[in-house]
Amino acid sequence: MKFSYNFFRDYVSRLPKPEKLAELLTQHSFEVEEVKKTGGDFLLSIDILPNRAPDCFSHFGVAREIAAITKSTLKPLLVRGLISNKLKTRDYVSVDIRDKKACPRYTAKVLTDVKVGSSPKWLKDRLRVCGLNPINNIVDIANYVMLETGQPLHAFDGQKLEGKKIIVRFAKNREKIVTLDEQKFDLNPDVLVIADIKKPIAIAGLKGGKIPEIDKKTKIVVLESANFNPRVIRKSSRKLNLKTDASLRFEHGIDSNLTELAISRAAYLIQKIAGGKIAQGLIDIYTKKSYPKRIRLDYGYLIRLLGIKIERKEVKSILTKLGFKIIKEKFPNLIVEVPTWRLDVSIPEDLIEEIGRIYDYEKIPATFPIAALIPAKRNLNAFWEDMTKNILKEAGFTEVYNYSFISEDEVKIFNNENLIELENPMSKEQKYLRSSLIPNLLKNVQKNQKSFNKIRIFELGKIFGLKIKEKRQLAGLISGDDFYRLKGVMDLLLNKLGISNIWYDEHQPTPGQSKKALWHAKKCAEIKVDNKEIGFLGEISPRILQSLKIANKVVVFDLGFDKLQKLASEEHEYMSLSKFPSAVRDLAVLVPRGTKVVQVLNKINAAGGKLIRDIDLFDIYEGEELPQGKKNLAFHIIYQAKDRTLKSKEVDEIHQKIIKALEKDPTWQIRK
Amino acid sequence: MTLKTLKIEAEKAIEKARDLKVLNNAFKKYLGKKSELTRILRSLEKLPKAKRVKVGKEANTLKNSLRIQFDKKARELKEKAQKETEEKEWIDVTVPGKRPVLGHLHPLTLVKRKAEEIFQAMGFTVIQGPEMENEWYNFDALNIPKDHPARDLWDTFYLKNGLLLRTHTSPVQIRFMEKNQPPLRIIVPGRIFRHEATDASHETNFYQLEGLMVSEQVSAANFKAIIEEFFQRFFEKPVKIRLIPSFFPFVEPGFQVDMTCLNCEGKGCPACSRTGWLEMMGAGMVHPNVLRAAGLNPKNWQGFAFGMGIDRLAMMKYKINDIRLFYSGDLRFLQQF
Repeated sequence: MKFSYNFFRDYVSRLPKPEKLAELLTQHSFEVEEVKKTGGDFLLSIDILPNRAPDCFSHFGVAREIAAITKSTLKPLLVRGLISNKLKTRDYVSVDIRDKKACPRYTAKVLTDVKVGSSPKWLKDRLRVCGLNPINNIVDIANYVMLETGQPLHAFDGQKLEGKKIIVRFAKNREKIVTLDEQKFDLNPDVLVIADIKKPIAIAGLKGGKIPEIDKKTKIVVLESANFNPRVIRKSSRKLNLKTDASLRFEHGIDSNLTELAISRAAYLIQKIAGGKIAQGLIDIYTKKSYPKRIRLDYGYLIRLLGIKIERKEVKSILTKLGFKIIKEKFPNLIVEVPTWRLDVSIPEDLIEEIGRIYDYEKIPATFPIAALIPAKRNLNAFWEDMTKNILKEAGFTEVYNYSFISEDEVKIFNNENLIELENPMSKEQKYLRSSLIPNLLKNVQKNQKSFNKIRIFELGKIFGLKIKEKRQLAGLISGDDFYRLKGVMDLLLNKLGISNIWYDEHQPTPGQSKKALWHAKKCAEIKVDNKEIGFLGEISPRILQSLKIANKVVVFDLGFDKLQKLASEEHEYMSLSKFPSAVRDLAVLVPRGTKVVQVLNKINAAGGKLIRDIDLFDIYEGEELPQGKKNLAFHIIYQAKDRTLKSKEVDEIHQKIIKALEKDPTWQIRK
Repeated sequence: MTLKTLKIEAEKAIEKARDLKVLNNAFKKYLGKKSELTRILRSLEKLPKAKRVKVGKEANTLKNSLRIQFDKKARELKEKAQKETEEKEWIDVTVPGKRPVLGHLHPLTLVKRKAEEIFQAMGFTVIQGPEMENEWYNFDALNIPKDHPARDLWDTFYLKNGLLLRTHTSPVQIRFMEKNQPPLRIIVPGRIFRHEATDASHETNFYQLEGLMVSEQVSAANFKAIIEEFFQRFFEKPVKIRLIPSFFPFVEPGFQVDMTCLNCEGKGCPACSRTGWLEMMGAGMVHPNVLRAAGLNPKNWQGFAFGMGIDRLAMMKYKINDIRLFYSGDLRFLQQF
C-alpha cells in the first residue's frame, strides 16, 4: 500500500529520514518495499500484513507504529469544527438500517453552505502520492480521511436524496445502479446497498452512485461513515467483480468505534477548506457496541516464549505507546486492555508479539534448546525411497520430477479411468490429477528425443484416483534399448532391495483391455514376487507412441511402491565360497520358437540337482540355417560341489543325465 | 684362433650388435655350445698340466668377461627396444576420456537429502503426509477459518471429490501431533500446490520443508539457533539470520526469516535488492489454536514451526534462475547434477 512521508510528519515529532524510517518499519512492523521521491514528498510502499489491515490501512495507524518504535509522541487528530446550533442534522436526513448484521453502525453528519471547488495543492499532492485522483474538495476530503484513519467515508448531495432518507438494505432483483465513474451494475439480493426511498444511491462499502453525487452546485453535504460486515462486503465485491479502496478496508474489518472520529475529522476539514456550517447532532445507529477486551499477560510466559528477559518497565512502555492500557499489575501478571482498533489482538501471544517486535527481535539471542538426547527416528518410507533412487541412479537412470497433473488430451490417448478432476484447473493441461506416472514420462521422451538417442529416466511420486485415492508409484523407462535390458534392471533393482523369488508372467489382457491397451500386446509382463503382482514391465504400444510422435521403441516399468517397500528387506546373508574348483560344460538345444527358456531351465535344474551352481544362457539364435520355426538356446552349465573337487567323470554323468532329460521332449533336440 | 683374437672379435661383435636378435646370434657364436671358446675349454684335458692351468685360467676369464659384456649389452638393447616400442605406442592424452554412464538424482532430491541430514543430526525426524488434503487439516485446524480473508493468502486447487491439494506441508503438523505426544521435533519435506500463474519464480507444484518443535519450553531464541545452524551448514558459510515481523494464522508471534545475502555477504547488491538480506522462510511460535486443534493443551506445550521452499534453496545453491526447469524433465538440465 502506498503511503506519503509528509503525511506521517503531521503526527510524529522527530520523524526519521525516509530511508531510516523504511528500515525501522521493516524491522519492527511491516516490510517497506520501496522508497521513492515524488515532488516534495516521498512515496513509501509498505506491505501491511493482512491481520493489521484494520488499524494500519491508514497513515494514522502506521504513525502510531512509528511513534512506538522511535519512542516519540503521537499527535492527535484535530476534529473540532464549529457547530451551528440552529441547524439540526435530523432535519436534513434520517437513517433506517434494515439489516443490522450487515451494517453494525451507521453515522451521518450534515454540512450546509459549502463551496464545492478544487482542493488546495497540499491535499491534491498527498492524494496523488497515495495513488488517488483529486476530484473536488468534498470528495477529496472524504478520501483523505480514509487514507488518514482507515475509515472509508462517502459524501452525498443532501438535496438529491429522495425523501431525505437513507436506507441500508439488500438490493432487490433487477435493481440497477450507475456509479460515480459511470459504470452500470445489475444488482441482486446478495449486494448491500444504500438507498433513498426510491432507489439505490450507493453500493454499500464499494462505490457511490451517480445520482446524488457532489457537484459544483452542491450546498448540502450528507457525510456517511459506516461500518459494514466484512463478509457482506466480500460477497458484494465478488458478485459484482468490483474492488475499491473502500471495499479493501471493509473486507478486512474495521473498528466500529472509528466511524465517529472519522466523520468529525471530515466535517472539521470540510469546514476548514470548503467553508460551510456543521449541523448539530450526529445520526448514529450503533446496534452492537464494541468494547475493549482485556487480556491477562503472564510475564514469565513472555520470557519463556521469546527466550529473552525484557524489563517490565519496557514491556509496559511498549504496550502503552501502541495504545494498550495497563489496567492492573499483579506479579507476574499484567491485565492489559486492548484498544478496539486492534481487531487482531485477542490472546496473550498476540501481546507477546507486540512486545517482541517493538523491543526488536534482533536482540533475541540464538540459544540452542535444552532437550532430551533422543536421536531422530528413521523414516522407513524415506529410507526405501532413497535406496531405490540410488540403485536406479547407479544403473544409469536419471531422476525426473513431473507435474502431478495430466491434460485432457493425454486422458484421451491413455484412456485413464477413475480420475480425480480439478474443480478449478489453471488450464486444459492440468485438468486431472495423474493416475499414472507413465504419460508424463513419455512426454519427457518426446521432448528429449531430439537431443538424446538413449534415454533412461525414472520418477518416484504420488498418483491419484477415485479408487486408489493417493499412493506412491515408481516408474521408469528406456528408449533406444530392448525389453531384456530393462528386465535386467528390474532384477537388479529388486535384488538390491532384498527381494527374491521374482518372476515374470505373461500378461493376459481381457478383451476390453486389449483394444485401448497401453502396452504392446506381445511384449508385456506382470512382475511377480511369489504369487503377488507388484507391477508391469513392457513395451509401450505402437498406437500410443505414434500419437505422441515418439520415434524409438520405449520399454517401461511401473511398480506400486507401497507393495515394493513391504517386500523390501535389509537382511542380507553371505554365501560361503567354495574352496573347490568348478567345471563348465556347454549345452545347445534346438527347440520350437514358442518354447520358453524357463521351461528348459526348469528341466536342467531338475535333472542336474544340487551340483549345478549356475546356468548361464549365453545365446539365443533364430536364423536361416536352422529348421523353420526353431530356435537354438546355448547354455554354460557350471558345476560345483561345496565339499570336494568334482571329477570329470562325475560331471559328464550329470551332464548326460540332463541331455537325456531334455531329449524326452520329442520336439527338443540337443545339438552335438 | 687364439684367445686374444677371439676376445677382439667377440667384443667387436657385441659392440656392433644393434638389436637383441643379432646379439643373441653373437652370443651363440662366441659363448654357445658350439663356439670356439667352448671347444677350447672342452679340449683342456688333452693339454699338459702346466699349459692346461694357464690356458684354462685365461679361457675362463675371457668367458666371464664376455658374459658380463653380453649381459650389459643385452640390458641396453632391451631398454632401447622398450623405449622404441613405447615411442610407437604414443597416445594423445588430450583425447576425451570414456566416461561410465551413470544416472543422476534430481537436484531437489539432493537438496532435500542435505536438509534432512542436517535436521536429523539435530534430532528432527522426517515425517511425510498426504498431498490430497481436506479443508480441516489444510485450513481450519491451522487457524485459518472459512470466509476469512487470510485464506486468500493461499491460492488453492480444489478437487471435484471435495478435497483439495495441500497448499503447504503444515497440515502434517496437525496429523503428527494428533498421534504423538510432545516433546517432539519433526521436519516434513513434501510436494505442495498453488493455484498461481507460472513464471520463473512460481510453479503450480513445488516443494516445501516444514519444521516443528514442541516441548514444555521451546522459545524464539531456540528457533533462531536451530535455523541459523541449518543455514550455516547448508550453505557452508557463516551466514546470519534476522527475524522480522510477519503474519501466518498458525503462528503467534509470526516471523519472516531473512538470511544475509550469499552474494554480497550483507553489504547490499542487486541480488538482494541492495538490502543485504534474502527472504528465506516463514516461521513463528505455534499458535495455541493449532495445538488445541491437534488435541494438545496449550497451557502445557509451546513450540516453533517454520516452512521454507526446497526449490528456492536449490535455486540459490546451484544458481538456477527458473523454477520451471525442475519440472521440465529436460535431460540437458538434469544430467548436470
